[in-house]
Amino acid sequence: MPNGPVIEARDLRRTYKTTTGVIRRKPLEVEAVRGISFAVEQGELFGLLGPNGAGKTTTIKMLITLLLPTSGEARVLGHDVVADAREVRKRIGYVFGGDRGLYERLSALDNLRYFAELYGVSGKAQRTRIDEVLELVGLKGREQERVEGFSRGMRQRLHIARGILHDPEVVFLDEPTIGVDPVGARELRTMISGLIEAGKTVLLTTHYMFEADSLCDRIAVIANGQIVGEGTPEALKAGVAEGHVTEIEVFGVGEPVVERLRGLAGVTSVAVEERDQKQLLVVQTTGERELTAPLLAELDGLEVGRVTSREPTLEDAYVALVGTE
Amino acid sequence: MNSLRVFFVGGLISYRALFGWLTPAVYIPALILTPIFQILLFAYIGRAAGSQGDEFYVIGNSIQYASVPCIFVMSQTIADERFFQTLGPILISPAHRVPLFLGRALPVILNALFVAAFALFAGGLILSITFSASSWMRLVPVLAVAMFSCTGLGLITGAIGLRIRETSVLSNVLVGLLLIFCGANVALSSLPHWMAEIGRALPLTHAIAAARAVTNGATLGQVQGLLGKEAALGIVYTIAGFGLIRFMERQSRLHATLERV
Amino acid sequence: MRTLRLLALGWLFHFRMLSQSAFDGFLAILWPLFFATVAFFMFRSGHSVGGLGPVALGAAVMGVWTATSVSASSALQRERRLGTLELLVAAPSNLATMLLSVCLATSTIGLYCIVATLIWARLLFGIHVPVAHPVSFILGIVGIVITIGSLGFLMAVAFVRSRRAWALGAVSEYPIWLVCGFLVPITLLPGWVRPISWVLGPTWGMRAIRAGAFGGNGLPDVAMCLLLAAVYIGAGVLLLDTVLDSARKHATLSLT
Repeated sequence: MPNGPVIEARDLRRTYKTTTGVIRRKPLEVEAVRGISFAVEQGELFGLLGPNGAGKTTTIKMLITLLLPTSGEARVLGHDVVADAREVRKRIGYVFGGDRGLYERLSALDNLRYFAELYGVSGKAQRTRIDEVLELVGLKGREQERVEGFSRGMRQRLHIARGILHDPEVVFLDEPTIGVDPVGARELRTMISGLIEAGKTVLLTTHYMFEADSLCDRIAVIANGQIVGEGTPEALKAGVAEGHVTEIEVFGVGEPVVERLRGLAGVTSVAVEERDQKQLLVVQTTGERELTAPLLAELDGLEVGRVTSREPTLEDAYVALVGTE
Repeated sequence: MNSLRVFFVGGLISYRALFGWLTPAVYIPALILTPIFQILLFAYIGRAAGSQGDEFYVIGNSIQYASVPCIFVMSQTIADERFFQTLGPILISPAHRVPLFLGRALPVILNALFVAAFALFAGGLILSITFSASSWMRLVPVLAVAMFSCTGLGLITGAIGLRIRETSVLSNVLVGLLLIFCGANVALSSLPHWMAEIGRALPLTHAIAAARAVTNGATLGQVQGLLGKEAALGIVYTIAGFGLIRFMERQSRLHATLERV
Repeated sequence: MRTLRLLALGWLFHFRMLSQSAFDGFLAILWPLFFATVAFFMFRSGHSVGGLGPVALGAAVMGVWTATSVSASSALQRERRLGTLELLVAAPSNLATMLLSVCLATSTIGLYCIVATLIWARLLFGIHVPVAHPVSFILGIVGIVITIGSLGFLMAVAFVRSRRAWALGAVSEYPIWLVCGFLVPITLLPGWVRPISWVLGPTWGMRAIRAGAFGGNGLPDVAMCLLLAAVYIGAGVLLLDTVLDSARKHATLSLT
């Protein structure tokens, strides 16, 4: 067991070359990941939180040796992901969300046997190990059925089973609860916590705030290929904790008014959410004083609906880190 | 909707169906190289079998292979119409059926014509067979009639495709049947009587015979009987195809399957 | 050895999956039958010496290549579409082993073709194919399945970056039939083609099977067949390493 961090990324960068235009193709370089650095300690459940297109999947793929970084380096359990790819692959599990990634026409059991072989689970240990993981993910009794009949939640559970067959020390989960119904997703999260209890280290990517909040020991917030915030969920919330969040419903607010609101003393950010015919202004403010009166004064002349005031959540911290340009 | 517009819009849809999936990476191997390989294959089998001469196989296989673009692309055109949900509106429109069909069929026919002609030229060249300019002048109308009648068959396959999703098996089977029955590689006289009768009810058979006659010096007038039969078959298939599409459409209103992609 | 275990297991699973696919299975068997039928008529109406037995045998083997050519070339494409390609690359096992097992599975499907064609020839054309040396015959069939699978493996690796890999596989169908002497004796082909025939494994497999059916020593042919298979596998493995590195660099692994 190495003494250093289990996962270590140092200034990882990844550029994609693509083309624009149909007739005259111009080459275009897209920087998906622009210098990401972080470290994950043994036994941690680390979250990479960010909106779609932020670079989460690209980052995880570099760590699991599927993509070569354009520059920078990364190590998993002390092994370099570029030079020592095979050593890394032996010790990690990879689980991704979605319907794909399984052999539809084979049964769940056959899928597991195939991957067990592929991931080097010795012949004798296979039977017991497969039984164990089926039990763990709650698919015992359904293993003879063909995967094509499985629901999304069941597929996800099978994915997790597959990912831990060879008892890896580190498990990488890429949006594991995407598209799963709430009950199923809750079960999956319980399973993910179970992995930590079993002594593994887990890196999870997600765009669900509450998932990151409830599961993760530490979170790194990614936007536009860079880490814009890092820390425990509490620390991130503390970043906005001294203030308040005031939510104001308005009908037909224009950009100039929003700008004026932003300019008010004590206002850290204003986010506008469209809700049918009205907008919801989410105003984050610092300081203990409530700023409701000055805010409403700025909105004089506009039709205003409900006004509520609440404590900031991780979502607000996230929006503050990610949203405003 | 005036007929000319109907004609051109239909043409555009076929064109899109043709070149949507048929990129050069697919077109060249599938429609340029493969027919030449098929010609070479059968010419050499013919030599091994001590059967007909090379020219027999060059003509037969060029025309038979062109059934592939006819049938597949026509089916794809219908499938595209269904996908873009334009099929229903077209069928109930008062537009004349002839420009409607011809508009869609023309790019298909022209493309198949090119495939057949190129195969005749290139395959022939490799086997040291060239056709005179006057032969070519007579061949082109023969090829055109052949492609027209085969496209009619494609219309039927396309119609069936409105009900069954996987028509590629059916299309492949049709191409295979044409290989056996239409006289491309085995003269009808060498086939059992019942097989020759089936062959005469299929597209391409008469056209292949006409093409062989024409390259041997016959005039178009002398083969007009064969061409007439081929064209008539084409018309029959086309009408049947239309009828089948109408029927499928009526069925789908019962079972709500027309717009199912 | 673990590699052999993985090879065997992968072969079994993929063979099972392919057998269940109506499209792959049914059409793969039917398609060569059309050509076999045409060939039988051509030889029957022709003036060649010799019976139709060798024709039936040649037509039967054509099916093995049909089963493999498109299926093997597009194997990686299929895995990519299923979303499993990433998982295979991320595994510590060698991707080459897994890919080879898929390709061997596709050529094994060709066994259905051999049986179907011989039955077809017997029932509809009264063609009877003798088996003079059963051992040589069986070894010849095994050999040709292995060598065709290996050739498919090489093609799969060579075409992996192309999204139309299946089209490239399909265009190779007729040329292999022609050049490997299934229905046309090599001697009839132009001189410059013959060296190409000799470096193609299926040519030797065909000779071995013919020897097994009609007499003659097919064992050297089987050996040649397997030797070429080994060459294809070696070349494919080397090429795959290069291709995979490129895929990781240019991020082409998960494109659908």
